[in-house]
Amino acid sequence: MKKTEYAISIENMTKSYGKHRGVKDLSLQVITGDIFGFLGPNGAGKSTTIRSLLGLLKFQEGSASVFGLDVRSRSEDILRRVGYMPAEAMFYDAMKVKDVIRFAADMRGMDCRREADMLCGRLSLDREKRIEELSLGNRKKVSIVCAMQHKPDLFIFDEPTSGLDPLMQAEFFQLILEYNKQGTTCFLSSHVLSEIKKYCRHAAIIKEGEIVCCDTVQNLTKTNAKRVHFVENGTEERFVWRGGIDELLAGFAGRHIEDITIEEPSLDEIFMHYYGEGEECEDGIVQA
Amino acid sequence: MVLFRHELKMNFKNFLIWTLCVGLGCLGCILLYGSLEEQIQGIADSFSDMGSMSAALGMDKMNLATMRGYFATEVAMMHGLGGAMYAAILGIGLVSKEQSAHTVDFLNVLPVKREKLLFSKYITLVTNILLFQMICAALYLLGFGLMGENADGREFFLYFLAAALMQVEIGTVCFGISAMSGKNRTGAGLGIAVLAFAMDMMCRIVPAIENLKYITPFYYANAADIYTNGEISVTMAATAGGVIFFSLAAAWTIYCRKDL
Repeated sequence: MKKTEYAISIENMTKSYGKHRGVKDLSLQVITGDIFGFLGPNGAGKSTTIRSLLGLLKFQEGSASVFGLDVRSRSEDILRRVGYMPAEAMFYDAMKVKDVIRFAADMRGMDCRREADMLCGRLSLDREKRIEELSLGNRKKVSIVCAMQHKPDLFIFDEPTSGLDPLMQAEFFQLILEYNKQGTTCFLSSHVLSEIKKYCRHAAIIKEGEIVCCDTVQNLTKTNAKRVHFVENGTEERFVWRGGIDELLAGFAGRHIEDITIEEPSLDEIFMHYYGEGEECEDGIVQA
Repeated sequence: MVLFRHELKMNFKNFLIWTLCVGLGCLGCILLYGSLEEQIQGIADSFSDMGSMSAALGMDKMNLATMRGYFATEVAMMHGLGGAMYAAILGIGLVSKEQSAHTVDFLNVLPVKREKLLFSKYITLVTNILLFQMICAALYLLGFGLMGENADGREFFLYFLAAALMQVEIGTVCFGISAMSGKNRTGAGLGIAVLAFAMDMMCRIVPAIENLKYITPFYYANAADIYTNGEISVTMAATAGGVIFFSLAAAWTIYCRKDL
């Protein structure tokens, strides 16, 4: 695949803060037009990766490009094509919402009034309020409008749904799907696995600054591991099995099993597996 | 231009407060001169006889009993200190406030290069300082007019030129610190302004530390010297230019490479 067919391409990126780890030898590709989930708990390196892509952080080793443009030398051109929503949506307290939105558009030299009107309407955002009067959720909405109003080619969202109520979360993802249909790529960092599973086509899991797996969401959830749930003598038990089905069934032979379910593990369980929170036993059983 | 307008708006309240406080305060002092005129000769006599302290306050050169002397020694000192404090507070917060308030994730992801961003902020600093000086000068001229006194046009203009240069110098040093540091350092900014003022007083009193005059911008912006000599020291002004240049170069170099 040509480099320009990737909306984001990171090769062997290393960023450290003095003695502290940021990301180490990180490589990642996001295909143009994709909705890509970037999973990891707090402190794993998600924001470091995103802030390096946007030119806010200067990484020490490796290379990164957005739409084939080098992030070190072409940051202005990249930012013109990107809509970014940070984890913490902070603006100037004394400004009104409408002024913040217009300032963001003016800085891009664009008239985004129509799109901003539509977004504010759908997100029920009061534009006459001052930033200092807004709750976290409403500040997030301002951030969404600022990231989307100029119809960028790439969305980069860093934990976008924290602070948004479930209705607004649904509206937010609906907007992403609509823009994505029009060709916008979406790079979504989150530790909410359900939203990644529901909306993303590809995902990567980052652990302690390194990518531990990167695949389609479908493949990530389709492993040889099985989630087993059974009831024996009135007692419910569950575990994740890594091994042959014959062996698994042989293990149940001669026991009084009242009910049993064997299914694919959820993304949460895979995530937990990569984070070592499920301890694998010698017999292939992983405690879920 | 959009960013410059934005910065002007963001700093307008502070600008108004400082300009009105310093400008109206000093205007009040000018207008007070009328009621002090009768007692001031006595004060002038005792002040001019305080040895090196008189030199520090410029009263060995100017007669406090004249409006000219009163302005150059008293009013200009208040104006200089107030202006320096304003420049320091403005400069020290202009860049670092974005990081300390986390607005950097909004502003620095808009399509503008860091160099342009820094330039817009610096132009805001200089514009605010020049407007501050112009409004204050207009208020003082009004005061002179109301008192029926002559403002000594040339010396008055030269003094405001030197005061503006001093403000720009202190503001630029603080701006440099602001660009290098991501934290709010208002205290450090105020400290720089007050320290520079104190250094000027000290180097005029103690001959052993006379060379401090090359460090403190208050020395070349001393109204009593300018009114007496009718000029600004070219050496001092060039030194100020050098300090401004190096502060800006350091700010540019570090800000464009640092993590935000």
